[in-house]
Amino acid sequence: MIFSPLIDQLIMALRCLPGVGPKSAQRMAFHILERERSSGLNLAKILETAIMQVKHCQRCRTLSETTLCNLCANLNRDQSLLCIVETPADVIAIEQTGSYRGYYFVLLGRLSPLDGIGPEELGLDQLLKNLTEHPPQEVILATNPTVEGEATAHYLAEIIKQRNINTSRIAHGVPLGGELEFVDGNTLARALTERSEV
Amino acid sequence: MHQTILLQPSYILHTRPYRDTSLLLEIFSRDHGRINAVARSARGPKSRFKGMLQQFVPLVLSWQGRTELMNLTVAESYGISHYLTGEALLCGIYLNELLMRLLHRHDAHPGLFAAYQQALIGLQQQQQQITLRLFEKRLLIELGYALQLDKDASTGMDIMLEQYYYFDPIQGLISCANHASKKNIFRGESLLALHYEELTDREHLRDAKRLLRLAVMSLLDNKPLKSRELFLYQLFPLKKQE
Ligand SMILES: [Zn+2]
Repeated sequence: MIFSPLIDQLIMALRCLPGVGPKSAQRMAFHILERERSSGLNLAKILETAIMQVKHCQRCRTLSETTLCNLCANLNRDQSLLCIVETPADVIAIEQTGSYRGYYFVLLGRLSPLDGIGPEELGLDQLLKNLTEHPPQEVILATNPTVEGEATAHYLAEIIKQRNINTSRIAHGVPLGGELEFVDGNTLARALTERSEV
Repeated sequence: MHQTILLQPSYILHTRPYRDTSLLLEIFSRDHGRINAVARSARGPKSRFKGMLQQFVPLVLSWQGRTELMNLTVAESYGISHYLTGEALLCGIYLNELLMRLLHRHDAHPGLFAAYQQALIGLQQQQQQITLRLFEKRLLIELGYALQLDKDASTGMDIMLEQYYYFDPIQGLISCANHASKKNIFRGESLLALHYEELTDREHLRDAKRLLRLAVMSLLDNKPLKSRELFLYQLFPLKKQE
């Protein structure tokens, strides 16, 4: 052991963060201890408070310290649209486009039978309850274009259709500003299959 | 033992996030069978593998390593991908689960690889039932558990159209007198239809499904398949609620 036990523990603890390997954890630990002691203390406090208080929104399951998150509590959004995404980060990504005004539902994952993740793990009973209490006119399935994301979208579409609600799937295709030559074959094949009329 | 494999025709059966930005891959390769590999930084924004490491896409892969866990070095797509959607996609996941559960690592099965490729084409053409049955039959042959569908296992006599047979996963098909609707008794006609792979009749197809399920499940020690649960969920969504 090169460092004293406490410093070692701090370095190990920092490594739980994404993208932080042993070297950067060490740099962070020394930075806090040498130069940023008060900000470090502040970080420790806010980290503890956030972990204790941030839970999941009762309606859409996104991260929130209030029972209803800001989005769900906002009555000025478009009641006719519900967008289903995999993660809270996906909500932020869609919000930042500024092109969607409806509500969300966050699965906190995707169906992955081979990893033991089934419909129950995705809070689908909550989703069905929402669809009954606040029925939208259209549900937009915005799960990722991976095999698991597609399987999830297919599964959701089947059960939502039984309730006579329109369902749509976000389009997949060629990135804007890209050149066809450099787009991978699968994306291109899909963009061709799902082409739209102009 | 250090191994370097170059440009091997392969399919990805399953992926799982690994460390920060990497992916853990279950690979089914033509000449080296089932392989586990890591694709480093595959989930990073500038990954050279971006969009490539997907199931049901024909790939050529290169890897190297000296342990059970190989290091993926090159991935290129070749040929036309099997674009599966909806139920065909769920069937594809079922095929992948069968291969992951039943193939040993590093056991080559080029014949099965060809059968898998054929099955993906069948699924894409929306011929789910026949495709799955023929693949299951082929899988049993490749693993050394071929079903003897034209001979009575106890007498060695030809299977007869009108006769009924009892299926024992170890011994095979044995003629029996009654045909009380038990789940392991089959009519000769259905057995021969599967033998000659002429599954156009719906009843023959249903019997083939029942027989192959018994045979496959016995190989799996009767431990249920996860991908099958998804089909059941779909038929009875959230039965807890109803
Ligand atoms: Zn909410």
